[in-house]
Amino acid sequence: MAEPDFEAQLSRMFAEPPSFPDAALFNAEVAAKLDRGWAMRRMFIAVAGGAAGLVAAFQLLSTRFSNEVAQLSKNGSHTLENEISASVAKFNAVLTTPSSAEAVWLAAGLAVVALAFFVTRAVEDF
Amino acid sequence: MGMERPPTGHDVELAAQAAAGDRRAYGELVRRHGSAVRGLLRRMGADSATADDLAQDAFMTGFEQVAEFRGEGTFGAWIKKIAARLYLKKVKREARLIFSDTVEPVEDVMVRDASKDAASRIDLDEALKSLSRGERLCVSLCYGADWSHAEAAEALNIPIGTVKSHVKRGLDKLRAKLARPEEGARREAHG
Repeated sequence: MAEPDFEAQLSRMFAEPPSFPDAALFNAEVAAKLDRGWAMRRMFIAVAGGAAGLVAAFQLLSTRFSNEVAQLSKNGSHTLENEISASVAKFNAVLTTPSSAEAVWLAAGLAVVALAFFVTRAVEDF
Repeated sequence: MGMERPPTGHDVELAAQAAAGDRRAYGELVRRHGSAVRGLLRRMGADSATADDLAQDAFMTGFEQVAEFRGEGTFGAWIKKIAARLYLKKVKREARLIFSDTVEPVEDVMVRDASKDAASRIDLDEALKSLSRGERLCVSLCYGADWSHAEAAEALNIPIGTVKSHVKRGLDKLRAKLARPEEGARREAHG
């Protein structure tokens, strides 16, 4: 048999998948592994989102954020310009609080991202 | 409550759905290509338990990476490549990748069925047993997983010339083994 013919024949022989009596079991095992992996991923996302949210909430509560918001609403009668400049000043004040302002925003950002990711995945899943 | 119908469509469409998180679509790809991957791993020399474990790992890895499958080649070739790499990683880790001429006994794991193509499969699986581990790996990678000689050389970390010589010797042995039934049949026809 000529070499190219034989190689083509060999490729065809390799391309014919063997039949396995336990093929259904194999497929089911892969599906179960996929489901387990998916469930673990969802649980991890939920835990991470929850933890990030808790950290964010704790950080927000431990700052003077609520006071600043109340102050902002009190100044509602001021002119728009005054309000904006006051808001900017308050915003900066929050950012520069001694209780690690960066951590607040980082945690809040992470919480939002984690929550959004979780919601997206949950919607896709159900 | 009726049973859900399995997803239909081309492999590329199913892969795109799987990339979007559709596990049922991926399950259909597993159903279509599971036996081919399991068969390839056995033909490369893995025992049945190892082959099935690695085939499952390959499909799990495939699910994680399915977004990278763009349909340039076939899904079958893509998933076989993942499976072959996993097997090579395993034999390298176990330091069992020895390119000697020794023919190692390999478990006879292929299923014999009564279909028309079964004879050629059995022939191939029987014939592969006459190859050394290196020949068997190189031939299986190049003809079973559609790897180029260069890809096989890189994955096996051996010179490309070594791959070519293993393939050539492997093909010679397979040709001799696979030709025998034909010759026998011819003799019977003439006799």
